[in-house]
Amino acid sequence: MHDLDELLTHCIRCGFCLEDCPTFVETGNELESPRGRIYLVRSALEGKLNWQDDVKPHMDLCLGCRACETACPSAVEYGAIFEMARDIIEREKPSMSKRALLASTTNPGILKAQLAASKFLPGGRVPNFVSKLLSGSKAEADLPTVQANKPLPTFETEVSVRGEVFMLTGCAMQVLYPRVHECTRRLLRRIGYVIRDVPQGCCGALHAHNGDLTTARKLGTELVRAFTGDIPIIVNSAGCGSTMKEYADLIGPECADVAGRTFDLSEFLLSHGLVDELAKAPGLGGVTVTYHDACHLSHGQKVTSPPRELIQAIPNSTFVELPESMMCCGSAGVYNVLQPEMARRLLDRKVGHIKETDAEIVATGNPGCHAWIAQGCREQRSARVMHTAELLEAAFVGLDGFVM
Amino acid sequence: MDFSTLEAILRPDQILSGAAASRGYDCDAYTVDRSKPSVIVLPETTLEVAAVVRWCAASQVPFTSRGAGTGLSGGAMPALGGVVISTKRMNHILEIDLENRCMLAQTGIANRRLTDAVKADGFHFAPDPSSQSVSTLGGNIGENAGGPHTLKYGVTVQHILGVTMVDPLGEILTIGGKLGCGPGYDFLGLICGSEGTLGVVTEAWVKLTPLPKAVTTALVAFPTIRSATETVAGIIATGTIPAALEMMDRGIMNAVALAFKLTFPSEAQALLLVECDGDDADVVAKEMESVRTVCESNGCLEIRIASDEKERANLWMVRKKGIGAMGRIAPSIVTHDGVIPRSKLPEMLDFVYEVAEAHKIGVANIFHAGDGNLHPCFYFDDRDPLQVERVIEAGEIIIKKCIELGGSVSGEHGIGVEKMDLMPLMFSPADLEAQAMCKRIFNDGMLCNPCKVLPNQRGCAEHKMRWRGVAT
Ligand SMILES: Cc1cc2nc3c(=O)[nH]c(=O)nc-3n(C[C@H](O)[C@H](O)[C@H](O)COP(=O)(O)OP(=O)(O)OC[C@H]3O[C@@H](n4cnc5c(N)ncnc54)[C@H](O)[C@@H]3O)c2cc1C
Repeated sequence: MHDLDELLTHCIRCGFCLEDCPTFVETGNELESPRGRIYLVRSALEGKLNWQDDVKPHMDLCLGCRACETACPSAVEYGAIFEMARDIIEREKPSMSKRALLASTTNPGILKAQLAASKFLPGGRVPNFVSKLLSGSKAEADLPTVQANKPLPTFETEVSVRGEVFMLTGCAMQVLYPRVHECTRRLLRRIGYVIRDVPQGCCGALHAHNGDLTTARKLGTELVRAFTGDIPIIVNSAGCGSTMKEYADLIGPECADVAGRTFDLSEFLLSHGLVDELAKAPGLGGVTVTYHDACHLSHGQKVTSPPRELIQAIPNSTFVELPESMMCCGSAGVYNVLQPEMARRLLDRKVGHIKETDAEIVATGNPGCHAWIAQGCREQRSARVMHTAELLEAAFVGLDGFVM
Repeated sequence: MDFSTLEAILRPDQILSGAAASRGYDCDAYTVDRSKPSVIVLPETTLEVAAVVRWCAASQVPFTSRGAGTGLSGGAMPALGGVVISTKRMNHILEIDLENRCMLAQTGIANRRLTDAVKADGFHFAPDPSSQSVSTLGGNIGENAGGPHTLKYGVTVQHILGVTMVDPLGEILTIGGKLGCGPGYDFLGLICGSEGTLGVVTEAWVKLTPLPKAVTTALVAFPTIRSATETVAGIIATGTIPAALEMMDRGIMNAVALAFKLTFPSEAQALLLVECDGDDADVVAKEMESVRTVCESNGCLEIRIASDEKERANLWMVRKKGIGAMGRIAPSIVTHDGVIPRSKLPEMLDFVYEVAEAHKIGVANIFHAGDGNLHPCFYFDDRDPLQVERVIEAGEIIIKKCIELGGSVSGEHGIGVEKMDLMPLMFSPADLEAQAMCKRIFNDGMLCNPCKVLPNQRGCAEHKMRWRGVAT
């Protein structure tokens, strides 16, 4: 496991992270930059600053997107520093409302009940009094709604089965985006893999990112127990995949093998021949597609090329790069509920770039980004958002089954 | 001091204060010296900067300009406290004039973004400090920054056509413009490299340079430091001026091997990165051929020529992020900056290794060999005050040697607070007084970035005790 003090020493203050940090780019404030935050954490650890008054506000505004890790030549593990600092802050003075938010978002039963109740809320937003309690400001994020979809055409393939995989069903994902799981299952089958269904829980990613390492470790340990053996684990949610690949650091050496057999769906599909299958597919009838890099996929897992290669292999479609595709959209787990103002600024920036591309579809590989960017695109009448898995499956069965 | 009256000038979100803010802005990338500001302001326009400076002048509060804070000599450290004026909200391009090959931008914009804006049209902003992905136009002007391509394209001053500046009393001055400076004395030359001591530059007209049509880049490995340094002298002697001629020694090679998985022959002790460019592909190819001949005659181990743009970009990333990668090896670094005649490179490098060893600190070298601009990078642990002392001492010895060999105390990182006291080694009292007179044309007080560049300023000696070596 990590030693915070040691992690901090790797920052030599060169500042190469600054222009890649969304909150620094938006505010120009050194304290809202990775270099500044690392300095504050180091100072608090040395007893020169106070965790709650001096450090907490700046750790709160951090998205945890880890773009700084991609920029950093010295391989400072900012994500780990961030989680450990938040853990210290939370343990010193726990925030009950934040805990409740995490618990409900990551518990499928509670989430479903909330969704049912939310139909009665004005404007489908988080009620302002709840938002004020959590963040002190007005709500920006619409309440999650379950993806509405028509049934997909019956599944056909001539490929024979050649192996088994696990799929992380996750917490929010299975409630909000059942269609993504359905597409994942179909795509895997198209390359000859079937999913071994096992009872499983939450991976603990949201807890880890929000300073509750104890719960994260507990959930992670249970999850690893569910995925026994050496079967590949397929994850279609970037934030979860990133945490699972780092279980060895979070939990301990007993999880050493997990990183090696956990794959983002796009990685697995690319390395197991989906491109060949796509070549035989009818494709997308000439639409223009762009791609938003989910932070925990690009920065957390360094997976940027596989989704692009797959999307570019879809017949009858045009791919355009999204400017600043690797900059966080502001969703960042529950960030858009806790920090609505900054989240909104980043969403507007993202949707502005999407409009510049004139793309009709934006693909992305994470439920948080999916919902948040979809909200922005809806408000500004821009592109439709699809999970990469949905887009790839649509290449085989057409877009009809995927309602906006 | 009552800073609350600043609220009449700026919105609350443009004013930072408190323990965390003072801490966050107490140094730049030179971490040996630190001094806290009381307040940091984030103005968005020239007018706002002028209002802040007038406030400082009226209240007799010192102020220091700051861009990205990547400076390596403490230039943006608020030596006497007071107000830090950050340009980081002034990051807009105001006008692009491709026909006249120039562009007007606010000075808080990162260098790289200037080029990004015109690259598709075949242009770039030529000054390319390794920090260009983040360091600002204002900081580049402040330090008259150079970079690997300085060898052929010159330093920042050659690419600035005009500036808008707020002087230390809060007056807005315009010097030069779209068409450069008119006849008369070259004030623009004086502003470039003045390290924020003459005022706050808020906007600048920069020159746009066409991108060369042909570029070839080679990474060459050598068995000894000497064979590499002699190759540098040899290449220059042929009359070829490469676009860039950079050297890395084993210390940096270790860091970049870790950071970027760069591979090289195991017995290599030094690498040269050589780039030739121009509009005529044949000429460029011939230049590279002559470079190859010199490398081979000096016994190089391997010459790797980048086969495509991706490989080329990767080689440059390795070079530009080389110093940044030193955090993999040690918790802190001090990157020195001295100049020597190219012919003295072999002797000087031997000296650097000796000094580092005698002071029990690590050293790695990555530098602009073509210009004889040395950057010994000491790596150490700044939590240990004894190491900090040794690092400061070793640095001074090295700079003294540069001057002895007929070189300079600084090539491009500036004097800041780091090398103020070394200035008399290079300049006579009369020289320094002449410089002080130049400074007084714009700045006749002690408020605008005090205690920088010139030694023996009134009131700085006692304060120095407070910041020197306060690395913790
Ligand atoms: C890893 C690394 C590599 C580097 N490589 C190079 C290199 O190759 N070549 C090179 O020359 N330098 C290099 N540097 C040093 C540094 O990046 C440059 O000096 C750069 O120009 C500083 O820009 P900045 O925006 O960070 O300025 P800051 O550090 O914020 O300020 C630098 C100085 O300029 C003044 N200043 C800033 N803005 C203004 C303004 N608007 N008006 C007036 N004065 C102002 C400040 O007061 C200060 O004195 C490197 C630094 C690092 C950390």
